[in-house]
Amino acid sequence: MTAYDPKHAAEHHDEIHSHVPSDPALRVKALESLLVEKGLVDSGAIDAWLEIYRDQVGPKVGARVVARAWNDVAYKARLLADGTTAIKELGIQDGWAVGHLKVVENTDQVHNLVVCTLCSCYPHGVLGMSPSWYKKEAYRSRAVREPRAVLAEFGVKLPTHVTVNIWDSTAELRYLVLPQRPSGTEGWTENQLAAIVTRDSMIGTERELPTTSTGG
Amino acid sequence: MDGIHDLGGEHGFGLVKPTADEPPFKHDWEGRMLGIVRAISRPRDWNVDKFRFTREQLPPVEYLTRPYFDQWYRSYAAMLLGSGLATAEELASGRSTHSVTGLARPMSAAEVATLRTATARFDRDYPGQPRFAVADKVRASLTAHSGHTRLPRYARGHAGIVVAFHGAHVVPDENSQGRSIAEPLYTVAFALGELFPEQTDIGDKVHLDLWERYLEPVAPS
Repeated sequence: MTAYDPKHAAEHHDEIHSHVPSDPALRVKALESLLVEKGLVDSGAIDAWLEIYRDQVGPKVGARVVARAWNDVAYKARLLADGTTAIKELGIQDGWAVGHLKVVENTDQVHNLVVCTLCSCYPHGVLGMSPSWYKKEAYRSRAVREPRAVLAEFGVKLPTHVTVNIWDSTAELRYLVLPQRPSGTEGWTENQLAAIVTRDSMIGTERELPTTSTGG
Repeated sequence: MDGIHDLGGEHGFGLVKPTADEPPFKHDWEGRMLGIVRAISRPRDWNVDKFRFTREQLPPVEYLTRPYFDQWYRSYAAMLLGSGLATAEELASGRSTHSVTGLARPMSAAEVATLRTATARFDRDYPGQPRFAVADKVRASLTAHSGHTRLPRYARGHAGIVVAFHGAHVVPDENSQGRSIAEPLYTVAFALGELFPEQTDIGDKVHLDLWERYLEPVAPS
């Protein structure tokens, strides 16, 4: 084993490109077999991680946080002050990319929009895997330059009196948008509220949540 | 590095294609790749910034055309190669021709239940005083270098206001070279019209989290 110096990564990329199978499924299969044989990975652990991020951790986790904040002003204050600590209060345990969680609140005057222009940083522990468009060039390039045009492509038409705050995740802080609670949801339980909170509303590409409750 | 990954403000990529609902992984191999990345027994000198720097050096055409998790594959393959843990021939065949020593045994399925709760933190103790305070006007540096950095091109040379101080965080430019050095980190708000003058200034702001070395003071006018 030698120290890894990423300055030479371009050469490594070239060497790998000329050797490995062209089908990504075959490449990854070969990688897993190799790492198992070398004693560097346990296939059972791969299964376990896959199951967690396929079946257990997703936007429903973030929706619980939002619903609690809507129903409990003291919790909301703690959440806005320190997202990382506040999500633990709800028993949310998954730690991937939520070590410095910053929650930003939408109001009548402010709309928040989250992006990562340099890669695709995302608060996985509360939102799960990111949607494909979040990782694509169109969103990453344009969210910081023409946010209102991007929002319009998601069906969000913002009046000019609403300010857009864009958050480009350039460090290890991860951003979660706290959407506005829709009117007509007074007296709803947390489960009912959580059921209307969408993935996009917590990224900021959706603003007005529909009040058709599917939860109970 | 000034590379293809630094996409903020670039033109020519078309419209965003929203998806109402999509599975976490489109193909099985994508989920397997995620699992490998979470489960692998990694050398102590690997870190997230070395990973990002490695991904940034994919040939630009591949960066723009390969599926996301295939880029993860390529980056991990490059890191295994660069660490001497695997050869290109081994990666191609999936069969080991030399054994690896000196690394911890990999986590088991049972251990994932505990390890899933682990949270990486990047803030560190810092003996010095932060150079800037909230409400200070600052300018993003124009200085670039060929290594890894998290100061996007679109912000360089532009002035903004410090809106938050986060203590000292590990500096990616150094961490990607194996040096764990922490420096004050700030959130800086830039007026959209300052960054992109063709945009009508109606108060929209772009916030970036920037390390002290990326910033210069702006004298009050």
